[in-house]
Amino acid sequence: MLTKDLCKEALRRALATGADYAEVFAEHTLSKNINMISGRTDKIGDAVISGVGIRIFKGTRCVSGSASSLAPEAVLDCASRVASAMAEGSGISDIVLRERLFGDIHPVKIVPAGVENSYKIDYLREACLAAKEYHDEISQVNGNYMEVDHKILIATSEGLFAQDRQIRTRVSVSSIASKDGENQTGSMSPGARKGLELFEDLDPKELGRKASAQAVTMLHAGYIKAGTMPVAIENGFGGVIFHEACGHSLEASHVALGQSQFTGKLGTQIANTKVTAIDDGTIPNAWGSVNIDDEGTPARKNVLIENGILKSYMIDKLNGRRMGMESTGNSRRQSYQFEPTSRMTNTYIGAGEDRDEDIIASIEYGLYARSMGGGSVNPVTGQFNFAVLEGYMIRNGKICEPVRGASLIGRGSDIIMDIDMVGKNVKRAQGMCGASSGSIPTDVGQPLIRVSSITVGGR
Amino acid sequence: MIYREFKDAVVKYAVENAVTDYELYYEESESTKAEIFREEVKGYSSSNAMGICFRCIVDGKTGYASTENMTEEEAKSLVLRAMDNAGSIESEEESFIHKQGDNYAVCGEEKEAAPNGSEIIDMALALQRELYRADGRVTDGTQSAAAHIGETYAICNSNGLDLEDKVSYDACYCLPLVEADGEMYDGFADRRGNRKEFDLKALAGKAVEDAVSCIGAGSVASGKYTVLISGKAMATLLGTFSSVFSAEQAQKGMSLLAGKEGENIAAEGITIVDDPRYEDSAAKRTFDGEGVAAYAKNVVEKGRLVTLLHNLKTAARAGVKSTGNASKTSYAAVVGVSPFTFYISSGEGTKEELFSAAGEGIYVTEVTGLHAGANPVTGDFSLSSKGFLVKAGRKDAPVKNFTISGNFFALLKEIERTGADLEFVNGRFGSPTVMVRDMAVAGNQ
Repeated sequence: MLTKDLCKEALRRALATGADYAEVFAEHTLSKNINMISGRTDKIGDAVISGVGIRIFKGTRCVSGSASSLAPEAVLDCASRVASAMAEGSGISDIVLRERLFGDIHPVKIVPAGVENSYKIDYLREACLAAKEYHDEISQVNGNYMEVDHKILIATSEGLFAQDRQIRTRVSVSSIASKDGENQTGSMSPGARKGLELFEDLDPKELGRKASAQAVTMLHAGYIKAGTMPVAIENGFGGVIFHEACGHSLEASHVALGQSQFTGKLGTQIANTKVTAIDDGTIPNAWGSVNIDDEGTPARKNVLIENGILKSYMIDKLNGRRMGMESTGNSRRQSYQFEPTSRMTNTYIGAGEDRDEDIIASIEYGLYARSMGGGSVNPVTGQFNFAVLEGYMIRNGKICEPVRGASLIGRGSDIIMDIDMVGKNVKRAQGMCGASSGSIPTDVGQPLIRVSSITVGGR
Repeated sequence: MIYREFKDAVVKYAVENAVTDYELYYEESESTKAEIFREEVKGYSSSNAMGICFRCIVDGKTGYASTENMTEEEAKSLVLRAMDNAGSIESEEESFIHKQGDNYAVCGEEKEAAPNGSEIIDMALALQRELYRADGRVTDGTQSAAAHIGETYAICNSNGLDLEDKVSYDACYCLPLVEADGEMYDGFADRRGNRKEFDLKALAGKAVEDAVSCIGAGSVASGKYTVLISGKAMATLLGTFSSVFSAEQAQKGMSLLAGKEGENIAAEGITIVDDPRYEDSAAKRTFDGEGVAAYAKNVVEKGRLVTLLHNLKTAARAGVKSTGNASKTSYAAVVGVSPFTFYISSGEGTKEELFSAAGEGIYVTEVTGLHAGANPVTGDFSLSSKGFLVKAGRKDAPVKNFTISGNFFALLKEIERTGADLEFVNGRFGSPTVMVRDMAVAGNQ
């Protein structure tokens, strides 16, 4: 992508005005999106993203710049532009770049970019047709296939010269069920850090049917009555609750600036003793995994919370300087156009010891959230909200009728104290997480959990 | 390689491959931004971004390919990729490359010269000082930022269309953090437009008031309430549900407004406008994502749905003219449909009159969690909210941590009053305060 000599010269120029650290991040990405509607391919997006992002630090001050080009003159111009904004001293010139190979623990059997569209379209069609045929109330099915082949190169004034190639593939099916002028939706969107072998792991018909089953179930559900009640949240995407309610507040980008409810809480109990939470960027082929983060630090498995005690934040280099702590391999950016910061990779609540049936049986009146939609949080106040895509009432310890329109709201620091039962069967699910450094792939996960009390919005 | 050379190379390869219907869409942006933390520059960035999308019609099917890499080799690849993708399209809808002949508004009056880096830093610093000055409880963690953004959009196509829009604007925002009784409260305010018109003190005051007014906020009991939704909160809702006005969504069975043109879909007092040249808008445009002239229109007039928003493809299918609403979420995106500056027109009531009309209820100033808690296909929403109680016709104590739930289509019909206080979010979606009765509220009191 960029030669070692060019990187070295760019770093030299970037440091010319007194910065104590410089970093060149170069990217060349191929991405494709195939959209299918009414069983026919409707639109195909096909993009090449390529450019460079350069950052320099002086203490905790950061200057950055980016350019949509990998041409040597554009890279060097970007470096000079960044340096001129620092303008406070003289440079460091003796950079020795040593190439480092971190290896790839995410084997890819079929690189998507080399495979013709029709192969991908056939798979998508099978999923969409199965979704449409599931029930005569299914009025529309929207299918989407996405592939990304993301090559990155990082060179730093500390001498690092490293590259990585991240291939990700994802399929999503969204079904709409309609009756009497009313719509309800259901969707499935599995993905992985692998190539087209993803198709071998996933039966397209099952994918389509699951999306439609959800839409039809919700079409026949009534609205939930609002109130405060215990909630059992299913494994897989249910883990979005930890991601939003707690994960974001453990990112150094909030902690280092004192903008998190968990600033200064290391070593203290912040969660129920049943809760152990992990961020692990090293899970082979997982959607949120990286070999190295976007600052070139190898990914690792970080225990964030162990039996309720806060053990670690997720830290990038710049915020690490503010906090006097090392990077935890969590620095990520959507592309060269975004400045990287601390983000999650694959974040989940670890297995507990409660049996699923005991969790449901323990609830006299409450909500069983089988499938969660997304959510959001204000990391300063910890106020979060989540949408429940598929929910059921629990009465006398039994799962009863489906309910629609439920949302869960509360405060992160309260809810993680209130997770008082944790099941054994951890499952992860895929999402795109948006924050200041852009939209990045992350996994969320958990076993079935019980939250003793939570405000459920409804009608 | 510069854009002009690259463009020529692409056209050459298109012709060589017998592609006769094509379009090149070009987007470029230059932005400079300074962020301040503890009254010091925390970050300073300058970015130059550029991208090109090639769209062609082969055997009636549209193919796309985009790139940021302007090389001879890439010009060739761009054409071949787009042709290959066109060959995979199965949808039967007719596709178009726009022809010449529209009347275009004149782009942009003379703008101020772009500020240099230190001017941007000074603006962000001054904003932060105003934040600390506004209230003694403003604490560390408070951030402010200022930026200047310049954007160029250009389209040229095989029908000889050759258009360019240049827009530039300044922006600043602030996030004060206030500590009181061991709790943290945050506020937010932003401005876009011409920096000479920014009143930093007023902006800081507004953001700090946003945070301070929440101190001691309680909760509410679940139930049905008369609710005043602030202009910002309603604009947020309108933005989230704006796709329901897209003819593309309607034709694909993804909007419940399909086939409702000419019908009353909102209360009589509601007029919704789409205006690419809205006076206060930071980014005015003269043409849409297909090169069709952009113009102002009432989408809803006194409650009646006048038109859905169209691009060339959806308009042809519906047998109408494009409303000039072809959109691209980025240069690389496929053409969709979306509004420009989209807002509910102001009514007549002052805020006091609205409080008085509400009598008892809740004034919702902010809704969050839109990307999950609101579904444009169903119209359902259930959103985390904050605001104030309304008691005896007046604004009362602050409340937080409750949800408002309903259905957007029902909400439009149930708006009883609209205020005269049109406000915008993200410089793009706007609404005045609106009043509705019997809205479902969930709290934990």
